[in-house]
Amino acid sequence: MNVIFIILLIVTTSFLDTLNQLLLKSSINILNLKVSTLRNILSMILRLALFPRVWLGFCFCTLSLFIWLFVLSKADLNFAFSADSVHYIFIALSSRLILKEKVGFRRWAGTALIIIGITLITWSNR
Amino acid sequence: MSKGKITLKILIFLIASDLLETFTQFCFKKSAVPQNELFIQNPADALLFITNILGSGFLWIGLLSVILTFVIWSTILSKIDLSVAVPIASFSYILVPLVSIIFLGEKMSLLDWTGISFIIAGVIFVASSTEKETAAA
Repeated sequence: MNVIFIILLIVTTSFLDTLNQLLLKSSINILNLKVSTLRNILSMILRLALFPRVWLGFCFCTLSLFIWLFVLSKADLNFAFSADSVHYIFIALSSRLILKEKVGFRRWAGTALIIIGITLITWSNR
Repeated sequence: MSKGKITLKILIFLIASDLLETFTQFCFKKSAVPQNELFIQNPADALLFITNILGSGFLWIGLLSVILTFVIWSTILSKIDLSVAVPIASFSYILVPLVSIIFLGEKMSLLDWTGISFIIAGVIFVASSTEKETAAA
């Protein structure tokens, strides 16, 4: 199967995962809880379940899982797993653009290295 | 927000989360392989793919492993900083290809390993920037 099509699917799963992370993070920001023990984490999960957007995120996550499984049914695991690191790029971009977090030079440099890495393995598996 | 040093217990948790992440991907791959010949052209194909794959034991073992990884990872992050944990967790970018070669019979070229080296370096860069930048913000 065409490697570009597979890459597009992997990018889609990463995009959906990033949407899920954004929905989760914005909900957690509203809750503004300190999380340090397992009990705290469990109570936070219960309170997060009250946010409709967390459920939307869960739907994205499920869709992403099935696309991922479809990718794995066609592509090598070592290639797909490495290419999935594309989500670091989405996270950096969306943290900057949507959550208005600061993204420094080191992070952009790291993101650039990841892009080079993905390009190399895509070239190698073409 | 600086947390404690890596203790032996945390190190074991980190290694366990790497191994579990790798195990998860191995199980997902195993559950997907029988669907290799199935190409999705319409919604009925998609439904068939989903029902087939839901019937695979490997998928459910993989999902269980995801939940366990989440619990272990949450515990790790309550004890050490993300900027310390992520580079150690990025070890799975080496483990997954190794498992792919040994247990799944996949082939990898020098170019693949070069690409993976860049990815790991990138992940470490991304993670190591976390602490200073949030402190400065």
